[in-house]
Amino acid sequence: MNDRENGDNSLRPKNEPPTGLEPEVKSVCVKTPQSFFGERPLPAIEMAPRVLRYQSRRAFLVFGTGALATLAGSAFLLPQETLSRLGMGRNMDSPGKEWFLNRALRIDDDVAEALYSANRSVSTYTKSQITPLKNNYNGATPDPGYISGWRLTLDGLASGLSVSLDIRNLANLFSLHDQITRLVCVEGWSAVAWWAGLRFDDLLRAYPPMSQAKWARVESSVNLDASGNPDPYFMSLDLATARHPQTLLATHFNGQPLTVDHGAPLRLLVPVKLGLKNVKAITNITYVAEEPRDYWAERGYSRYDGI
Amino acid sequence: MSHSTHPDCEPSSTSTLPEQRGVLVVRKHHFLVRWSHWLNVPILLGLILSGISIYWASPIYQHKPDLNTGNFDVAADIGIWICAHVPGEHHYSSPSDWIYNHMSLGPGMLAPALRVHWLCAYSFMLNGLVYLAGLIIGGGWRSLLSRRDDLLDALRMFRYYVGFPFAKLTRRQWLHPLFNTKYNALQRAAYFSVPVAGFLSVATGWAIHKPMQLHWLATLVGGYNAARVWHFWLMWIYILFVVPHVILVFGDGWDTLRSMILGWSMRVERPEVVAK
Repeated sequence: MNDRENGDNSLRPKNEPPTGLEPEVKSVCVKTPQSFFGERPLPAIEMAPRVLRYQSRRAFLVFGTGALATLAGSAFLLPQETLSRLGMGRNMDSPGKEWFLNRALRIDDDVAEALYSANRSVSTYTKSQITPLKNNYNGATPDPGYISGWRLTLDGLASGLSVSLDIRNLANLFSLHDQITRLVCVEGWSAVAWWAGLRFDDLLRAYPPMSQAKWARVESSVNLDASGNPDPYFMSLDLATARHPQTLLATHFNGQPLTVDHGAPLRLLVPVKLGLKNVKAITNITYVAEEPRDYWAERGYSRYDGI
Repeated sequence: MSHSTHPDCEPSSTSTLPEQRGVLVVRKHHFLVRWSHWLNVPILLGLILSGISIYWASPIYQHKPDLNTGNFDVAADIGIWICAHVPGEHHYSSPSDWIYNHMSLGPGMLAPALRVHWLCAYSFMLNGLVYLAGLIIGGGWRSLLSRRDDLLDALRMFRYYVGFPFAKLTRRQWLHPLFNTKYNALQRAAYFSVPVAGFLSVATGWAIHKPMQLHWLATLVGGYNAARVWHFWLMWIYILFVVPHVILVFGDGWDTLRSMILGWSMRVERPEVVAK
């Protein structure tokens, strides 16, 4: 605001009648020394009523416009389901809305990426701190029949070949690492669980990806939807995170081989990401240069999901 | 009126209108403070509504599933109770969704609620910085600091507010406690606490959002689950603050509300100030 301040008069003490008439006004306006934290008197300004009216009108117009713009902005940004509930029949979904909200999500992902450090380990716990972990398969839990014929295939390798491994190959080739870490779900719950498995980093060293690869597409082709129909689950994982020493391809849970509930025989355990990146029953890993599709990103969630 | 004000403080416009007397106003709120104050309204509304939608996905307070409804969410129980006891809600189709249908963006909307929450959360942090800048540039921060005898004064103010409706009803005289500061002790406490709550909400929010990279932050408040509990109850501070805040602003009068829009107040001579 371009309020006019006027030297001494602006510091008129508040216990003076504010007429501006008294000849002594100037003399009592001397600023008394105060402590740094002491409250200063509010500066009084003398204004012409016309100026005051003009300023009020302008301020109210600006604030009124701002309030209307906010209302319109909320109607633009709120989910369509909420708007329908509020009685707005018209479909307000638009590419602009998607773009804007995804932009906010992207900023948040960038912050997560900036926070990530390959040298920073997540907290580990003791066995007494273990908590129950529920089976949070989004759809139906697959029939365990797939486990006997299960194989892991690797694509996008430097060798240009496709590699197929069964669980015995993996157990013979790689050493197991124990880890008690917290699995955090996007829904808000979390569980401390004891895992064991091979390091993703060891797999990357044994079967190096092609040189231009920056991403892994981790897939479970045995995943089912809620009504039990095949619904392949695919997830993007940046290779920096895959190389993190605490990123495991887990084969054991609480000292026992994985059960079907927890993604037998091999699941991803990436404690620096939300639970939805921890793919159960992995069947394929493909290394690619560009960020691959992501099951939950296509359903409105974040892509990076670093926690 | 025959007098005129000092020539050096007279806006130029009045010199052409000698019959108009200058009006004395005091500058109360810096414009950054005013803007960030009002921006908090949509931002906090968005945070609370989307936050309750996020809460729906995994409620903090749960009990054993109810045999009839299968419900395990304590918050949803409130809606079930309302549908059972409030006339007009008896035929509500999904009682366990009532609370989320009325107090949030809606149930089963985790992904859109998270997007709205992040958008509002980043806006809230930026807005908080703008508010702080306004307090510092405008010097308003000094008026928010508690003083030595504030505890007693706050109790006097509290007694005044509680007794006010009763005194009105019985037509008794009920004098406003005297003070010669911008805010009374109770206001100072409230206006200081709410930004602190804002800071704690942001801190606990980060602790929940990045529990691995910022695990020290969760440790500070007692762990990941405790951070969620803190974050939930901090929300209630805003709700519990806003209700009396709005009532008292309207009770105090137009000048107070207007000063948060225009920045200045016409209450230059306050009787309580003169009396002291």
